[in-house]
Amino acid sequence: MLARPGLVSFDYVRARTPGEVVQLLAEHGADARLMMGGTDLLVRIRDGAVRPRLVVDLKHLPGMRDILYQQQAGLTVGAAVTMNQLARHPAVVAHYPLLAQAANSVASYPLRNRATIGGNLCNASPCADTAPPSYVLAGRIVVHGSAGEQEVAIADFFRGPGQTVLQPGQFVTAIRFPPSPAAASGRYLKLGRNKAGDLAIVSVAVLGFPDASAPSGYRFRIALGAVAPVVLRVPAAEEWLAHHPPGAETFARAADLAAAAASPIDDVRASADYRRAMVRTLTRRGLNAVADTIAAPTGSA
Amino acid sequence: MPESIVGQSVGRVDARAKVTGAAQFPGDLVLPGMLHGKILFAGRPHARVLGVDAAAALAVPGVVAVLTAADVPVNEYGLQTADQPVLCGPGSSRPGADVVRWEGDHVAVVVAESAEAAARGRDLVRVEYEGLPLLTDPFAALEPGALLLHPHKPASEIHPELNVPGNLLSHHQLRKGDVAAAWAEADVIVEAEYRTPSQEHAYLQPEAGLAYIDEEGRVTVAVAGQWTWEDQRQIAHALDVPPEAVRVIYPAIGGAFGGREDMSLQIVLALAAWKLRRPVKIIWSRQESIVGHCKRHPMWFQCRWGARRDGKLVAAQVRVVADGGAYCYTTNKVLGNTTVTCTGPYEIPNVWVDVDGVYTNNPPFGAFRGFGAPQGIFAAEMQMNKLARALGMDPVEVRLKNLLRDESLTAMGTPLPGGVSLVEVTARCAEAAGWRKTLSGWARPLCPPRPETPHLRRGIGLAVALKNIGFSFGYQENCWAKIELQGEREIERATVYLGAAEVGQGSHTAIQQMAAEALGLRREYVQLVMSDTATSPGSSGSVSASRMTFMAGNAVRGAAESALRLWQAEERPAVAEYVYLAPPTTPFDPETGHGVPNFAYGYVAEAVEVEVDVETGELHLLRVVCANDVGKAVNPRMVEGQIEGGIAQAVGWAVMENLVTEGGRVRSDRLSTYLIPSALDVPGQIDAVIVEHPDPRGPWGVRGMGEMPFIPLAPALVAAVHDATGIWFDELPLTPERIVSGLTGKGTETRRP
Repeated sequence: MLARPGLVSFDYVRARTPGEVVQLLAEHGADARLMMGGTDLLVRIRDGAVRPRLVVDLKHLPGMRDILYQQQAGLTVGAAVTMNQLARHPAVVAHYPLLAQAANSVASYPLRNRATIGGNLCNASPCADTAPPSYVLAGRIVVHGSAGEQEVAIADFFRGPGQTVLQPGQFVTAIRFPPSPAAASGRYLKLGRNKAGDLAIVSVAVLGFPDASAPSGYRFRIALGAVAPVVLRVPAAEEWLAHHPPGAETFARAADLAAAAASPIDDVRASADYRRAMVRTLTRRGLNAVADTIAAPTGSA
Repeated sequence: MPESIVGQSVGRVDARAKVTGAAQFPGDLVLPGMLHGKILFAGRPHARVLGVDAAAALAVPGVVAVLTAADVPVNEYGLQTADQPVLCGPGSSRPGADVVRWEGDHVAVVVAESAEAAARGRDLVRVEYEGLPLLTDPFAALEPGALLLHPHKPASEIHPELNVPGNLLSHHQLRKGDVAAAWAEADVIVEAEYRTPSQEHAYLQPEAGLAYIDEEGRVTVAVAGQWTWEDQRQIAHALDVPPEAVRVIYPAIGGAFGGREDMSLQIVLALAAWKLRRPVKIIWSRQESIVGHCKRHPMWFQCRWGARRDGKLVAAQVRVVADGGAYCYTTNKVLGNTTVTCTGPYEIPNVWVDVDGVYTNNPPFGAFRGFGAPQGIFAAEMQMNKLARALGMDPVEVRLKNLLRDESLTAMGTPLPGGVSLVEVTARCAEAAGWRKTLSGWARPLCPPRPETPHLRRGIGLAVALKNIGFSFGYQENCWAKIELQGEREIERATVYLGAAEVGQGSHTAIQQMAAEALGLRREYVQLVMSDTATSPGSSGSVSASRMTFMAGNAVRGAAESALRLWQAEERPAVAEYVYLAPPTTPFDPETGHGVPNFAYGYVAEAVEVEVDVETGELHLLRVVCANDVGKAVNPRMVEGQIEGGIAQAVGWAVMENLVTEGGRVRSDRLSTYLIPSALDVPGQIDAVIVEHPDPRGPWGVRGMGEMPFIPLAPALVAAVHDATGIWFDELPLTPERIVSGLTGKGTETRRP
């Protein structure tokens, strides 16, 4: 049915404690929807795709909008931290610039004032911009539910497009990132159909760092967005890079392996063929860019 | 006499209200006791409606009425020909009105106390359909024996000279000289097929309106449109009442671009208010808007052009097929312009042109900024740029050898009226874009390769266009205006009445400037009463075809002269009406196409500098130079605004906008799937070169310019991409994906649907 303008009415609760959220979800079940920035939920309500009776706003729970950084523990990003907040936070810019790049690439500036990292991940869109960096940065999702808090590795969080492991009554309060490997460098590259606002047709996150245990002296992590039902790591390419000296040829081969691993679809926005070809191009560009900025291993000339 | 007001960049009359939010758009209007309507679209492109069961809808609390085909007194409408049912279904007063021919056809309107109840009711209307075969390919629709989409409405009603059965909706042809014999004179022949895509208007404000019975008992529709008088005529026809019983008002309008030239929800709104005697409001969502109104015509071109070694064109043969979609809308007029423009702004001794418009089950295709000229000029300028390459000549140089001058004979066998400045706009554009005049002729600027970024290649391209001003081809263009002067010894206030629609282009401001100039008054003394058939009963014509400033300026000048004469004769108030009649034109001769199709033209040249990422196919538009002969810039800043806006919209058509249809249904029906350019996608630099070569028949020399900057952008851009990459792209939009497949040698052929 065609969308209709204007929002239908619903009840709105600004939750103050996690316990309140658990209770509201238990009471209202499928009639309740959780909201942070609302950039996705409100559009879907307007279009009639979801019809909640109750919208529970999580933004004001304690810690939800905080960014904490400690050298030993790493980074904890509250789920309701906005993209603009993330992109500008000094600790994120200094220690996790890859995450800042991805956050800064989401939609447009006004949307980045509202859109949150938690919402971006919980929607489980294969083209979510913060997902590929979260994979290569080994992010862990902090899930709150009736049984208290638990952590889920990002790679175990997504089940498919729009699907996560979250059970009814559970919600995400934060994303934790371990300390970035020493001397790491990262790059997030994406293609959209226009230069502001479009979802990614293809996105690639590359993280590289010196590692004496790797035969090549370096390890790279590669995650692909929008070319499979969930974000895809590319072990074959990562393995290749660990075993071959960094350089144009090695990177080109790794990019081929990444393209081979992708399983994109044809849709209104791009063909599968183009997406696959662009995985190759962006992976190669990402690897080259990382290689240009990565620190040489200690002791090398 | 104060300093001339025409020519000054004064502030817009509507700026404050629009910036502060005080301006009332149709969707903002509220009346006590107002009902809300929702229209049930067919949602299928071809079917016969066997029955409509409204019982469940009427049972929804708050639903007041469900109107269907049987409720429409004269169940047909249309700007050029009344071939579209107001509501599709059985019991219609017109034959064939029980058939839906596109997914956006209206089947019922549900009216309720709230928008929510109306929507619930609409979802519960049960319609029984008998599916009919789909015809979405215009070439298949032209085949002999193809299923007839309008058996009750032969195209001969639109084109009396056209006596062909079938789905052919319009046909134009030009015959000049002897093309077959001329090929022998050509040293170079370029043959190609081109495909130009559809385009969605994507105006800021989706369709909305409020209908009510006014204090004088008129059924009144406040809506966004382009021609109050014509909306009034069509509503009155469908309701079977005299036009005076209908009133049409345009409050603030959030863009139109031709998409509001044909009607959308006007008649349904009027019908509901007329039947129920209560105010009724309808607001369309973006999705309803994209599905529910017409689009730019997709077209296919087969071109064969020949030139001598010295660059002179000897012959052009062009065959065009345009998808007209489910209903006529303005197809016949749009294709008249394609006919005029598809051989470009050139004098060619031998011309053969055939242009067909075809009915299909696709969305109706109609007016959109440029009105058939962007498509025609795309094909012509692609041919010209390819000929320049084939001849080894500079693209400016080869054009200067062929551009139409004052005395040149067009493909219609007659010269262009009003002074032809094509050579001047081309030279001004080329100079501003960096071309140099050397001893051996014009030489384009070089884009040296940059070894540090081998995947980024730069190029520059140029194209030239002409376009008519006004609706013509024998139609007597006209514009009504009234001026009332009040005061005692001095004029204290002048009130201008006119039907012109302010669609964002600035016409109200220009009209105020011209009225002040004609009356010798300061602008502050001139009050405008616009866009209401109750106060402007005459027709001021459509806000389209770049005609409003030309036509309204002449009308206001005529009314001002008469009003001032009455003022001198001591009449208080001094009131004068005036109807400006444009110089007469003629229809195309059915055999040769010869005649004087238009009374005025505008001329424009554009140069585009582009950077192509040859690995991803992304385009970066670095700079666009636009030299546009506007005759006289009434308000130079608004002219620049039109140039920038027209270019932005043309960039969308050329590189990005992609109307995806499947089985006649639009799949890209949201702005998240149908992308238009963002602020970061428009060219980094736009240099407007305003050329003022006055048209002696235009007011103060005005030509008209709203469409011109759109027209040459696409072929100039494709030429720039060719300059950068060595590859010609014959099909738009130039998406990154299309560029990559072109560069890798895959899929450069022009597709038929």
